[in-house]
Amino acid sequence: MVGELFDGYQTADASHDEIVDPARGLTEEYQELVETLHGWSLDEYEERQNRADLALLSAGITFNVYSDEAGAERVFPFSLFPRIIGADEWEATEAGLRQRLQALNLFLLDIYGERRIIREQIVPEEIVLSSPGYRAEMVGFAPPQGIYAHVAGCDLLRDPQGEFVVLEDNLRTPSGVSYVLENRTVMLRVVPDLFPRFGVRAVHDYPNQLLTTLLSARPAHSQDPPRAVLLTPGVYNSAYFEHSFLSQQMGIPLVEGSDLTVSDDDIVYLRSTTGLERIDVIYRRIDDDFLDPEAFRADSMLGAPGLMRAYLGGNVNLLNAPGAGIADDKVVYRWVPEMIRFYLDEEPKLANVETFSALIPAELDHIRAHAHELVLKPANESGGYGVLIGPQASRDELDQTLAQVEAEPRNWIAQPLLHFSTIPTLAQDRMEPRRADLRPFVLSGDDTWVIPGGLTRVALQEGSYIVNSSQGGGSKDTWVLNREPS
Amino acid sequence: MLSRVAENLYWLGRYIERTENIARMARVEHEVSLESGHEVWHSLVSTTAANQHFWDTLLTSPELTHSEFLLFSLDNPASLRSTLLSARELARGLREHISREVWEEINALYLFCIGRDHYFAEHVHEFCNDVARRTQTILGLFDNTVLRDEGREWFRCGMYLERADMTSRIVDAKYHILLPDGDHVGGAYDRFQWVAVLRSASAREAYRKAGFSEVDGAAVVRLLILSLGFPRSLAFCLLALERHYQLATSNAPRRRRVAAARYTALLNLDLGALDIDQILTDGLHEFLDGIQQRLIEIDSAIAEHIFRAEPDGAEPAQIQAQTQALV
Repeated sequence: MVGELFDGYQTADASHDEIVDPARGLTEEYQELVETLHGWSLDEYEERQNRADLALLSAGITFNVYSDEAGAERVFPFSLFPRIIGADEWEATEAGLRQRLQALNLFLLDIYGERRIIREQIVPEEIVLSSPGYRAEMVGFAPPQGIYAHVAGCDLLRDPQGEFVVLEDNLRTPSGVSYVLENRTVMLRVVPDLFPRFGVRAVHDYPNQLLTTLLSARPAHSQDPPRAVLLTPGVYNSAYFEHSFLSQQMGIPLVEGSDLTVSDDDIVYLRSTTGLERIDVIYRRIDDDFLDPEAFRADSMLGAPGLMRAYLGGNVNLLNAPGAGIADDKVVYRWVPEMIRFYLDEEPKLANVETFSALIPAELDHIRAHAHELVLKPANESGGYGVLIGPQASRDELDQTLAQVEAEPRNWIAQPLLHFSTIPTLAQDRMEPRRADLRPFVLSGDDTWVIPGGLTRVALQEGSYIVNSSQGGGSKDTWVLNREPS
Repeated sequence: MLSRVAENLYWLGRYIERTENIARMARVEHEVSLESGHEVWHSLVSTTAANQHFWDTLLTSPELTHSEFLLFSLDNPASLRSTLLSARELARGLREHISREVWEEINALYLFCIGRDHYFAEHVHEFCNDVARRTQTILGLFDNTVLRDEGREWFRCGMYLERADMTSRIVDAKYHILLPDGDHVGGAYDRFQWVAVLRSASAREAYRKAGFSEVDGAAVVRLLILSLGFPRSLAFCLLALERHYQLATSNAPRRRRVAAARYTALLNLDLGALDIDQILTDGLHEFLDGIQQRLIEIDSAIAEHIFRAEPDGAEPAQIQAQTQALV
């Protein structure tokens, strides 16, 4: 059906493939792209891929890997073949994301306020209060706009039926959006001939939307106009490139904790060459624990002493709010569908992956009995660390991990191994299916805005389920198509 | 502007300028040592103030040459590669303050140097040429693509202070040729050396255009120290430093800005009052030594009163516009 690039292209068993429609050969969205590439030789495809790689390298679009030698940088591998999502499907997905974030923000407001959802026994109290993301300091404090997670990234997978499901929510400091924008910039440069034929929705409005969100989140006592900064842990953080990129795109200062000082009357200032300058909104990309050595970890060198005083006094706003991490917790995730029903009185538009919590006796029994069929995940790790894939694990590995689960049942969940969808990715000299996920970004402020598409991450190893950049994954440009004029 | 950012831009200017100077001097030294048969690299190692470190390192790596130590060694913090690494690391933290063009050029130069992980003696000329040309490209891009705001002025301050320092070191490396009791004053070897000095400072054409034909030590020193028309001379760099410092600190409280401004102005007054004969009579080396001390004094004053100043309670909270263009 297609040229040499796709010779022998065969999908992995039981998984949905982005370009394959079992009934009709090619899925509608990809038909034109695959047919266009049919006219390309391998050399031409590789030449474009090489140009893209070179552009990313010379732009220094890198991330740091902690497990390697200190400060080692890597280029995020980029895969030229784009992910395409049709207009109708995206509209439905976007509605599901809006609904989900609305419910999650209401949940956080409730937990730090009345706790109706606990009183009505929808969500177990012990799970919420034992979440590492829970911050007792936030109880009784209503953040501006009642919003905790202004910037969220939800990880979606396609199940074997081809439907998007939510794998996890990232409500603390989700990263990756800079790659969405840079991947698009590179694609526009190396395959300019493809864009006009497809009608791809632009992604470059993100920094403007983010700035609007930041400035709309002004604290009770603020200057007019309010002044925002982006707080980074510094140049050795794995996402430093993104911090720098976003602050540059928004035109706001990129600051480190040592650049800030909080006065005795709880106002936050920047140390500048001309003196002190007041700030109102902090888009912080450091974890709660490190924000303020007065309030949280006393040994933190990354934050600024007194930030929480200023925040709780209504003199500065922190985005996302401290304590938003409860909703990040993979155990709490299990109850998000219940939250949507409880707060919004609606059915979830995007499904969860079936999830078992080791803290619930019946579910722990199930995990014990079916560990070899399940994926076991620590509840509060990110980057894919500590995850055990049952069907690929030895008995010893299973037993070791199960022992950890028994020792800390609160800290573990299990999910069936989801054979999530694959997408063509160049391997050696032809296209092969590789698994991919999708992380759309949702901004919540006076309005809610969802980036068209998001970051498509792709596993580069055959058969691999791990798409994380820290573990050898790559990324693709994501094309949400414009609605055809009717 | 954030104090940390200002300080890093200042150091970025210093490191880029230093990289270019090392490359240019190394290229000339390379040719001089080939042509004259003398190993002259050691004077260059001392020019970068890494002399003791070289002899220490030699104990552990006996095969190390002066030129490798100066250009490639990452153990030598004053080497060309170390300097460039520092510049790139700073630039990585300054990406929202420099243009994409400047960043990409710095990054490309870094990749170019990192890509050569061992030393090729036979490629020194091309290597140094490439580095010098690319650093000039960076400076040109900086001038033509970066907003003329306070940050750009700090970059320029760093660049000019470093250039003044390097020019004084280049001249100082040859001061002994001017000693009155030298054995071969005025000989062919001397002229050869003075031409090398001129080329190390990119000053050969400037020297001719300034009306000198014979290469004469005192005239070379006058051009490199006192000329107000040559952009690498000490006097030119220090006047430029004074002007860019004023622009950089135009919004700073007087209390903060005054120390470095005073040191710079005094140094310029002193230079303006000197003539070359007097410098040579009093001793060129002593003079240059004094200059280097005063440059350190200026650098320390900027660090202490601007970059690292602790905020004091008496200072009212100032609300500044987000960008303060000085255009």
